[in-house]
Amino acid sequence: MDFLKTLTFLRGGVHPEDAWKKKTRYHPIERFVPKEVTIPLSQHIGEPARAIVERKTKVVRGDVIAEAGPGGVPVHASVSGTVKRVALAPHPLLTEATAIVIETDFEATPPVWEEAPDWNNFSNEILLESIRAAGIVGLGGAAFPTHRKLKCPPGITIDTLLINGAECEPYLTADHRLILEHPVEILNGAALVAKILGAKKIILGIEDNKIDAAKVLKAALEKHPSTVPVEIRLCKTRYPQGSERQLVEALTGKVVPARKLPMHVGVMVQNVATVLACLDAIAFHKPLIDRVLTVTGSGIQNPKNLSVPIGTLVQDIADYCGGLHYKTVKAIAGGPMMGRALGRLDVPVIKGTSGLIFLREEEVSKEGFGPCISCGRCLEVCPLGLEPNQISIYTEAGRPLETETFGTKDCFECGCCAFVCPAQRPLVQFIQMAKNSFRRVA
Amino acid sequence: MNKNPSLILSPGPHLQSGITTGQIMWWVNISLVPIFIWAIYLYGWRVLLLTMSGVVGAALGEWLVCRLRKQKQTLQDGSAVLTGLLLVGTLSPGMPIWMPSAGGFFGIVFAKMLFGGLGFNVFNPALIGRAFLMATFPLAMTTTWLKPFDAITQATPLNIWKMDKIVSVDPLHLFLGLRSGSIGEVSVVLILLGASLLVWKKIIKLTIPLSVLAGLFAISLFSKVPLFHLLSGGLFFGAFYMATDTVTAPLMPTAQIIFGFCIGVLTGVIRLWGGYPEGICYAILILNAVTPALNHWFKPQRTSTEGSPS
Repeated sequence: MDFLKTLTFLRGGVHPEDAWKKKTRYHPIERFVPKEVTIPLSQHIGEPARAIVERKTKVVRGDVIAEAGPGGVPVHASVSGTVKRVALAPHPLLTEATAIVIETDFEATPPVWEEAPDWNNFSNEILLESIRAAGIVGLGGAAFPTHRKLKCPPGITIDTLLINGAECEPYLTADHRLILEHPVEILNGAALVAKILGAKKIILGIEDNKIDAAKVLKAALEKHPSTVPVEIRLCKTRYPQGSERQLVEALTGKVVPARKLPMHVGVMVQNVATVLACLDAIAFHKPLIDRVLTVTGSGIQNPKNLSVPIGTLVQDIADYCGGLHYKTVKAIAGGPMMGRALGRLDVPVIKGTSGLIFLREEEVSKEGFGPCISCGRCLEVCPLGLEPNQISIYTEAGRPLETETFGTKDCFECGCCAFVCPAQRPLVQFIQMAKNSFRRVA
Repeated sequence: MNKNPSLILSPGPHLQSGITTGQIMWWVNISLVPIFIWAIYLYGWRVLLLTMSGVVGAALGEWLVCRLRKQKQTLQDGSAVLTGLLLVGTLSPGMPIWMPSAGGFFGIVFAKMLFGGLGFNVFNPALIGRAFLMATFPLAMTTTWLKPFDAITQATPLNIWKMDKIVSVDPLHLFLGLRSGSIGEVSVVLILLGASLLVWKKIIKLTIPLSVLAGLFAISLFSKVPLFHLLSGGLFFGAFYMATDTVTAPLMPTAQIIFGFCIGVLTGVIRLWGGYPEGICYAILILNAVTPALNHWFKPQRTSTEGSPS
């Protein structure tokens, strides 16, 4: 099967080691259900959802257990069982937040989600409401409520929908496995989202380290032709290919102006897992209650791709995967480039958790950073043409407010600069410090 | 199995690729080894003593300043050793053994540590060390060149050309390094060998060295013997090992081309019309001073906040 030329974004980027993804790319998605889940009421930006269950309430998998806050989405029970408590619990991003703890009843009859016969003919209002009611947020990591992203402001039309199957973060293979195992569903979900947007074209972008996934999609497309024209394109394996801005550049050649969104150039990007969740929500009325994620790194005994109920604790997942190596010193929620380091393992997987990565001490630099030697590597890899070297030098010298001219505000913190810095300077952290000082002044 | 690991909290990215500052410095040091072995072969064991003298002087300077300022010692990053080696590379093999120590000490203390240490120096410390020796001990610096395989002094090909406008060595011998000259500069082929290791390791790029060579070639057309000028003196050593020092060279490719070309031209101007037979040292130092301005004038082009250029 042939593909057109491999595409890539215009400048910068880094090539991560292929070996990192090899740990899990051939591991089919496994199902794991823990004895207990801790479902936080804050799963995305904005106000937390409001709990509508209390201690001892019996819930069935898929029940709404918390109603959406303003602009947010509801939260659903991810397992059938009994609510143990509604209380503050550790949170992967917020340190602590209110969560609903449910004890799993393994004996309960699982709910059946039947396919609605006429889902292809629903009106846009019904489609958007189904997506909202199912609690869907962007599953690429940012976790912005999907029904809000799909509602473009007046005056903006989307002609092309890009489906993000790049999965450029090192180590992660969950999206790769999703494509291999659910190609038809992803294509159907993409067609539904394209219908909501009125997009005339769908382009699926996949990095060329996943040619098998692209081939599976192509075969599925030939069997089930889509109502909207679909192109499947290979992108170069280059981080941050899966960042929205870079994917738009690669797949359409359009440059999204700094600090603007892809919709300003008539394009929208949705992640493969998100469109799959949209299809589940619309055709089967199944809410977003499971998360497919990659559990990997040198610090875990048996790396796996897992499907777990949202709210599964990292500790339970680590135990299920054979436990941690004794030299493990870092646990990361999300990808290793933009993910968050976890301070404890009793935090739950939330909707936006795309991976859990455990690193041993030899992979984690504990030495301090050195002075900038002006090697220029950060300038070469920055996809926006910013000057991380200067931002870090000024911020280190206590003059963060003078860094705006070097592009501090445009930075989306992909981390390429710090990835290549020979002096191991924490460039992203310096940029964050500079951004914070602008906020304090404003 | 580890139930309760103490976890490290730090911001992303959590991975790092490639080479560290220390590795860069040590790879450059390693790439210099063949050049120094060749010099020992040509001029005898005193070259080894001179090398050790230069390295010890430079290291002592760095150690002492760190000690006096109660800072963490930085010798392990390899940059002081590199300064010592590069300095000795620019010196004549017949000079007194103690002299490289003085140059290395001066270069490190006054050109590097007093500016704030690694990364903050404006001028190449090795070349400042050489300029210091040139000003202080001109006789030892200019009259102690040795004839290969013979412990007798012999003027360098550039010296002879400066005095009598005679080309005394054929290009092949210049290329292989069978001539009198500074310890590090004589064998063009070994310099290229070391440089290719650095290019392969992605430690240097060819932008600056090729611009230096182009600049010198252009200006030495006036001398009627451009090939002789290209292969003689410290041009290759300076172009590949001194002008490529990242701290003192500009960042953007266009600026690097201007930087390199001006070094080449200035070297030729000094050789052809100046008072010294060789000019690469001063040419690089002068352009080092222009680097901050070049960095100010040439910036990466940022993705605009307004429109799309496509």
